[in-house]
Amino acid sequence: MSDDERPPGEVRSEVSVHKGQAPEREGVTRTSQASEPAAGLGPGQFTAQMREWRNAFERRLPPWWSRAVAGVLIVIAILLPFFFTQTSGFLNATIISLAYVVMALGLNIVVGFAGLLDLGYVAFYALGAYSVGWFGSGFFFKEHIHVGASHLQGTLPGIHLNFLLIVLCAVVIAALAGIIIGLPTLRLRSDYIAIVTLAFGEIVRVFAINGQSIHLGGGQTLTAGNLGIPAVDLPYFPVIGSFNLLKLRPWYWLILALMLVVLFVNLRLRDSRLGRAWVALREDEVAAVSMGIPAVRTKLLAYAIGATFGGISGAFLGAYFTTVNAGQFAFSFSIFVLAMIIVGGLGSIWGAVLGALLLSYTNYYLIPDVFNDIPTKIGLNFNLTQLSFGIFGFLLVLVMVLRPQGLFPERRRRLELTGEIAAEDAQLVESETAV
Amino acid sequence: MSATAEAPAVPAVMVADHVTKEFGGLVAVDDVTLDVPRNSIVSLIGPNGAGKTTLFNMLTGLYKPTSGRIVLADREITRARPDKITGMGVARTFQNIRLFGAMTAVENVMIGRHARMRASVFGSIFRPPWIRREEREVEAKARELLAYVGLRPPVFDQIASHLSYGDQRRVEIARALASDPILLLLDEPTAGMNPHESGDLTDFMRKMRDELELTILLIEHDMKVVMGVSERVTVLDHGTKIAEGAPSEVRNDARVIEAYLGKQD
Amino acid sequence: MPAAAVRPLAAVRKWIGRWGLIVALLALPVYYGIRDLVHGYSSGFVNGHAVINHDLTQLGFNLVSGISNGSIWALVAMGYTLVYGIIELINFAHGDVFMIGSFVAAGLYATFGLTAATGVFGLIGGLLLTLIVSMLVCGSLNVLIERVAYRPLRNAPKLAPLITAVGMSFILQNVGLLWRGGSPEGVPDLINQNKTVFKISGVIVHRADVLAIAVMVPLVFALTWFIGRTRAGRAMRATAQDPEAARLMGINVNSTISLTFLLGGMLAGAAGIVYALYETNVWYFQGFEAGLIAFTAAVMGGIGNVRGAVLGGIIIGCIQQLSDSRLGPQWTPAVVFGYLILVMVLRPRGLLGEETREAG
Repeated sequence: MSDDERPPGEVRSEVSVHKGQAPEREGVTRTSQASEPAAGLGPGQFTAQMREWRNAFERRLPPWWSRAVAGVLIVIAILLPFFFTQTSGFLNATIISLAYVVMALGLNIVVGFAGLLDLGYVAFYALGAYSVGWFGSGFFFKEHIHVGASHLQGTLPGIHLNFLLIVLCAVVIAALAGIIIGLPTLRLRSDYIAIVTLAFGEIVRVFAINGQSIHLGGGQTLTAGNLGIPAVDLPYFPVIGSFNLLKLRPWYWLILALMLVVLFVNLRLRDSRLGRAWVALREDEVAAVSMGIPAVRTKLLAYAIGATFGGISGAFLGAYFTTVNAGQFAFSFSIFVLAMIIVGGLGSIWGAVLGALLLSYTNYYLIPDVFNDIPTKIGLNFNLTQLSFGIFGFLLVLVMVLRPQGLFPERRRRLELTGEIAAEDAQLVESETAV
Repeated sequence: MSATAEAPAVPAVMVADHVTKEFGGLVAVDDVTLDVPRNSIVSLIGPNGAGKTTLFNMLTGLYKPTSGRIVLADREITRARPDKITGMGVARTFQNIRLFGAMTAVENVMIGRHARMRASVFGSIFRPPWIRREEREVEAKARELLAYVGLRPPVFDQIASHLSYGDQRRVEIARALASDPILLLLDEPTAGMNPHESGDLTDFMRKMRDELELTILLIEHDMKVVMGVSERVTVLDHGTKIAEGAPSEVRNDARVIEAYLGKQD
Repeated sequence: MPAAAVRPLAAVRKWIGRWGLIVALLALPVYYGIRDLVHGYSSGFVNGHAVINHDLTQLGFNLVSGISNGSIWALVAMGYTLVYGIIELINFAHGDVFMIGSFVAAGLYATFGLTAATGVFGLIGGLLLTLIVSMLVCGSLNVLIERVAYRPLRNAPKLAPLITAVGMSFILQNVGLLWRGGSPEGVPDLINQNKTVFKISGVIVHRADVLAIAVMVPLVFALTWFIGRTRAGRAMRATAQDPEAARLMGINVNSTISLTFLLGGMLAGAAGIVYALYETNVWYFQGFEAGLIAFTAAVMGGIGNVRGAVLGGIIIGCIQQLSDSRLGPQWTPAVVFGYLILVMVLRPRGLLGEETREAG
């Protein structure tokens, strides 16, 4: 900012990667669309060559190709469970991974699109899970409310809503929580946002633990603390019947359906007025606001919408794990989900999906089931699961230092995070702009 | 030269009435009154640190004046939010180009149209036909504006930070125009341009004023541009208004010359 | 000339911005003090009947513990505030460096053969040595972290080093987990920390309290002297104000930053050994909690401000003690974080910090 724009005594503004280039010499323009690959050898030229081939390839594809690929993938996804048994460990890991994909997509909206570093995402997971615990179990034993529940559930005390209704409740509760958590952060810089959201996450956890001593009257407590709300309802749908933990396939299709809905919403939002507003706010809040984007509303929408995905996934996992206890809601969860979108590519929808799948499988399948005894095999006396903290920490550092844009970056973010001016595929071209 | 806020010869699009801005002990803008007549081009000049950009920031709502009023058409906007002010028809460019560097030129301009779009969250998710139409129209309008400011189509889908400096300036203007403003604030639009480009921009400003019925207030250092395009010039120095009037009057004003210490083109 | 309209809402907001936080901070001790005086509190049982006191002794005890606990947080907070002041980064891993300090100290007890039975001179010598080693280890660790995780990202957007900081924090926690397991582990009570040293109008001051303050005070003086009076300290201040200008003046910014991390780490190491002697147990997770508490303290006092860190540490220590003894330790994290949020909402610049620019 010029001296005119900045009042005296201001704290040094945030460092960011380029904002426009220095003035060019007369008559010279740089464009990034290389008509031929840059000459010469070397890694820069190699990447440029790859990009050029990829562009040429993509230009030759028919316009419907991405939809076709998506369709094929969806069909494969639907058929997947038939290749595994109803109690397969791999299927179990896949189900959990898909739930994490939903979480990652949600956090990706807050951190990736809107640039608000939320380190307390676990709060929304907790609220989603407690929605199931409160509205889909015998926890509120004084009540007898049944809406859309199975016959058996209908006979039990407590509140028993149909699973989809519970998801709806989770959405509302999470959205409200998102707004409440987001409100104090609106005027804060990014590192303070991180701490405040972290603080909220911890406060939710403290209430989850101590909820067993918060009495709501008549012997009812708020939560069941670390012991957990037991025997949470299994989802029930009129034609399909009640779910069953020995038959994993219906669970898989349920979470797949939820994930596809969330993915759809994400894609639609990204390419909309709101999605652009988020990116603009993230890149340059002053400019965005000067262009007519209402900062408060737009940020709160990011928090709220991101939160609803966490709530949806939380509700599913609450039902899937059949218990809701406070130990599930540690800070490390928030970091786990954050690692997924960082490794995948911050701000990139497909990056979030792939990052979530990658880290989830690693944590729930590869580490405990596949690689767990590697350390003992080489003489160390602990299991790999005891290293999961450290492994994820290490991953975060590694990715941020070596490839901050993640594995599958969105075009926009790649530039922000790597400081590329795409020098390797820029070409000095005579001015093309009108005189 | 109007000294009060009432009844100038031509109705004013915007009036800053005895506006002051203090930062702690420092007075950046001291009791400045300025009105911008409809459909005119007014220049705001002065040495560095005179408070010009601070005044701009107050006119667009980024800063709140310590005292004084700001009126747009007939609505008081002194304490209004910047995005609301943009919605009311004030658009600006920045001294150091502030494009959204990782987005394309078209996307940048589309963002400029945010305040005029009506797509809501649910609309964006379900995309009923009228939303699809709005998106198409906004994109078409963005391309139209980019052409209007003099860019060629190949540039439209380039990442903004890859464009040349001059092109980026044009994109910024297109982005400002996207909100259908009635008042356009340009902060040193010709900075970094050669005389040829500055001349083009000067012509372009007149074109905007006439074709789009815009009112333009600009901060400028290039005296040739100022003299060539302005109908009126206001001079600030150390936060106060030291002169105001037609370009030729101001140019020969002793105080102005002294403030600049002989600064030329 | 029309003055800006005085709107009552704006005036209330301004008052809240200046005094709201202080009111919120004083609310706790004042409330409980009054309650103790009026309502009385139980200070034990005699013949099956509770003894009810109507005085401020319990409050006094809370505050004494608060000050000594807070001294530990002050040491950690100073490290946070130094680093933030110079590179505007929350060193998430700092709390875990403190934890490593505790672990190193506990480990050194065995190495130096220190037990509760060691004689006074041996104990003092051994502990002094442990302190020095702890400080050096943690200082070096902090410098290493900066080199590996933060320096490569000096020019990246703020998000990046924040994330590597969290990553480093996790790595250190895992180290602690593997070193001493997942549960808190007791360490020898070398100084008999619970022994009464003296009483002030009925309020007992333990050895632990004296220790904490006796370590904190000289270190604060030393640090303040260093920053204020030495060339390196001036370089730190200059870099904190404006790194570019500092570089132009010939200051080696990289070394200065490393030095800052070294000092911060050393303070964390000192805090670590004091903690081990005070609490007589160590836990791999203590760094995470300590980090957040100390960061709250740093922000409350005014980030970047060393005196503020000390003030904030003591205040947070008192809040913690009051919460522990009146609401129950299971609620204390929520109380501390609640105050953190309050600080951010009411007065982000903290008690001693300077006014920062308006948003936008």
